[in-house]
Amino acid sequence: MPDTAPAPPLLEARGLGKQVTAPEGALTLLHDIDIELAAGASLAVTGPSGSGKSTLLGLLAGLDTPTSGWVRVQGEEFSALDEDARARLRGALCAFVFQEFHLVDDLTAWENVALPLELQRAPGARHCAREWLQRVGLGHRLGHFPATLSGGEQQRVALARAFAVGPRLLFADEPTGSLDRTNSAHIQDLLFELNRETDAALVLVTHDATLAARCERRLRLEDGCIQELPDPVRLVKA
Amino acid sequence: MGSLLRPWRDPAFRLLAAALTIAGFTLTTMLLLRAELEARFAVRTAQALGGDLVLSGTHPPSPTQRALVAPVRHATVIEFSTALVHGEVPLLVSARAVAEDYPLYGALSAASGRFQPPTDMPGAPPPGELWVEPQVLDRLGLEVGSQIAIGARNLEITAVLHRLPDTGAGFYGMSPRVLFNLVELDATEVLGPGSRAEYRLLIGATADVDLASLATSLRSTLRADQRLEDVAEAAVRSLGPLRQLTLWAKLGVLLVSLLCGAAIHLATGQRVARRARLAGLLRTFGASRRQVVTRLLGRELGAVLPAAALGTLAGIVTVGLLRRVLNWEQPWASGTPELSAAIMGPLLLWVGFALPRLAALTQVPPLAVLRHSLRPRPLSSAIELAAALAVPGLLATLLTDSMAELGTLLLSMAALAALLPLLLWPLLKGLDLAGTRLPLPARLAIRRLARRPTLALPLLAALTLAMTTLLLSGLIGNRLLADWQAKLPAQAPNHFVLNLFTEDLDTYRTWLAGQGGRGEPLYPVVRGRLVTVDDQPVRAAVTKEDDTQARALNRDLSLTEGADLPASNRILAGRWPPGADGVSVEQELAERLGLTLNTRLQFVTSQGIVKTRVTSIRQVDWESFEPNFYFMFDTGALAGQDITWLTGFWLPPGDGARIATLLSRLPHVTVLDVQALLAQAQNIAAQASRATALLAGLLMVSALLVLAAAVRGGERDRGRDNALLRTLGGDSALLHRVAWLEFTVLGGASALCAIALATAVLYPLSQRLDLALPITSGWLTLPPVLALLVAAAGITASRRALRRPTVALLRGG
Repeated sequence: MPDTAPAPPLLEARGLGKQVTAPEGALTLLHDIDIELAAGASLAVTGPSGSGKSTLLGLLAGLDTPTSGWVRVQGEEFSALDEDARARLRGALCAFVFQEFHLVDDLTAWENVALPLELQRAPGARHCAREWLQRVGLGHRLGHFPATLSGGEQQRVALARAFAVGPRLLFADEPTGSLDRTNSAHIQDLLFELNRETDAALVLVTHDATLAARCERRLRLEDGCIQELPDPVRLVKA
Repeated sequence: MGSLLRPWRDPAFRLLAAALTIAGFTLTTMLLLRAELEARFAVRTAQALGGDLVLSGTHPPSPTQRALVAPVRHATVIEFSTALVHGEVPLLVSARAVAEDYPLYGALSAASGRFQPPTDMPGAPPPGELWVEPQVLDRLGLEVGSQIAIGARNLEITAVLHRLPDTGAGFYGMSPRVLFNLVELDATEVLGPGSRAEYRLLIGATADVDLASLATSLRSTLRADQRLEDVAEAAVRSLGPLRQLTLWAKLGVLLVSLLCGAAIHLATGQRVARRARLAGLLRTFGASRRQVVTRLLGRELGAVLPAAALGTLAGIVTVGLLRRVLNWEQPWASGTPELSAAIMGPLLLWVGFALPRLAALTQVPPLAVLRHSLRPRPLSSAIELAAALAVPGLLATLLTDSMAELGTLLLSMAALAALLPLLLWPLLKGLDLAGTRLPLPARLAIRRLARRPTLALPLLAALTLAMTTLLLSGLIGNRLLADWQAKLPAQAPNHFVLNLFTEDLDTYRTWLAGQGGRGEPLYPVVRGRLVTVDDQPVRAAVTKEDDTQARALNRDLSLTEGADLPASNRILAGRWPPGADGVSVEQELAERLGLTLNTRLQFVTSQGIVKTRVTSIRQVDWESFEPNFYFMFDTGALAGQDITWLTGFWLPPGDGARIATLLSRLPHVTVLDVQALLAQAQNIAAQASRATALLAGLLMVSALLVLAAAVRGGERDRGRDNALLRTLGGDSALLHRVAWLEFTVLGGASALCAIALATAVLYPLSQRLDLALPITSGWLTLPPVLALLVAAAGITASRRALRRPTVALLRGG
């Protein structure tokens, strides 16, 4: 029997670097990062402020472009795509949870959850959004605008919005950073529970050691370089 | 210098500066124009009135009145309309016969040749001479030294008139003026019994005369055709129409200023957000609040001053150009008060709409830098609200000079500010509700508007108002007169002839037949004044009297008689013919004076009292251009009165030589050329229309500035939403579609409202005239074009928000 080639990793980054131009000269934000991430795996990116965590997340999610190296998602190279094509690829495969929730203020909770589905022209967007809101315990808050929801509720809407599209990759940027301890714990439980159920890979940027500890692997950045894990990082779900 | 230029790098500041420049420009233009217009048209103070007291009437002053004024400095003026004929060209002029002492105040300005510089003349023209305005020379092809006849008297033109000190407005003001010595009047043979002329006795104050007691004595001798004017009442009365005319313009200017104020308010919000970090740092470094004020607010004020000054300067230049275009040769009427107000206006806007927000910078605590919560808190919403409410009041005070006008202006402003948004709110909500089934981009666009009513409604109101004004100025313009002309029948009278005596009628008929003209019925005219209503003196009887009616009652009315009802008249109540003891009254006048069937009336004519009662009320189509009258008696009812005849006639197109033939035979008659009058009226209407269009254009620009300021103010949220949409999979085409739709909906809704509003305003007019409604006119395309302009302006202002990088979402953005 012929050998079957191993499946390509869901997310792959090689030689990833980011430099910006500052008045005092070129400034390196990230240097030569290699990452591979398989479906269902979870990775916590930690490090002090300014170490390049958010920059790395932005590059991995195709929100920003690297100055060196490349990122592939399901074999598709982000760097080779223009802004709109990257947006479409993100829409098809990725979802996001932000520290500041980033719900659209003009849309109700229900409409916020339906928004990415509608962008994907998914059939039954409204119905699916309602189910996800019920799932996160906000079935009674469908018609509420973000301004009338608490921080914890807003983040639950953001989680529903993220999982409603059935993402292969979930990027979370300090998802509990703006929440109190109780809400934080609640959101953490919900995040990992939904992640397990949907088999999405999770890339999580956080300062919170407890949250980082719940991920299968942790990567610590300092001055734009990986400090604590061998290079390359290969994370495969057990 | 560098610190003054630095704020200009900030787009928010440039927006603020543009708003200040526009406000400065409109306020300055309005303030200076008001002063210039009042000086030109309406200042009937002692000099313009001609004296401290003026006794005027349609018949000469009585011997008693002459005796009363004999010891006092006085001068006689008799003014009438007549025609000058040179070769075959006739010209209607306003002739003024003046006594040696004329003028009592001011000086006549005249030149020795058509293009010679004018100088002040020592007094009235000597006997045998005629002083004429330049148009007379130009239109008749005459020059100084030419001879010309007034009626039966030949006079030599010896000077070109440039200015009469007591030039009044009104009908006679439309004709060029000629001036000659009173001693020549009888020789002209122009005036006869029943001729239309105004006799004025100008009385000047001297140290030894008690004018008040003289006025009291004269008032006791006044006949029904006479009135006595003093400086105060003349000034108030002659300013009335001008004030009404400018009130709307002032409302427009106030709206422009307030829209600019809104733009300043919004742009300042962005300035404050950007300057907050610096304010916090300064406080951290130990700067006192006073130092923060000096450094930040002082520089801000220093930077806005040139913007305000630029607007003021542009306003001064515009009014200067207007003066040149309109040939206003008098010295500038506007002085320090107007200029001070013009400079103060934009600064008031800045103080009211920007300063309270900027003052928040002084409240930024040093600790805020450490806590990274640099958003400064507003100083006090009560102060911001008080300033926002006070500024319109103060601006209106600058624009007006009476409490009554101020009240009207503020009330109109409040009504517009409150009513329009109230009317538009259901539209916005309706759009939002109806949009739930629309595609995602449309829903997002509508929701952005509907969720921000405090921003969207004033914007919608401002754009609607600007578009309506532009649409109306385009639709009406000078078309009112043009359409009315077009509606007239093919052979409607194009000339009127007045002051025909009975013995002239055969000459007139023969002449008309010879020219192939078509005559209207001849109406006898008796000059009379209404003195009692139901045996009560008319002033006591007429309770609804206002200034307009007072003037209607203060002048002679033309009474007529006839067996047939004119074709353009319709009896609404009572009977026709009116009967020997009855009179038929025009409906609107009857309503204004409270006259009903059987009301008893008394008129005073040159032959005594005419008693009658109202036997019918008539509706008159004044636009038919047939001769029409307020009071019509039955045939024979006016027998024995001094009668002149009035009629209209249609003359086939041709040159003015034909009229000259009539005037050479009947020099005392007055022929009015309707086409010439209409052309002049159209010219005035066109100028007013252009001014309205300019104001509407400024309103539109101000509304667009507010839109830009609002978009820039919300840039952070808008950019975040765009970045989010992009993060969730939306491409740039979607973002642009949402933005275009948002501003197109805003512009489109404004356009629809403007069309509806203009249609509502014009519908009553269109019923009477062939005036096109917006929905049936080519002007219908204007609001959609403006809506596209709104969309383009909105897109331009939101360029940065559309380019917001998605990665910003990860950095707290």
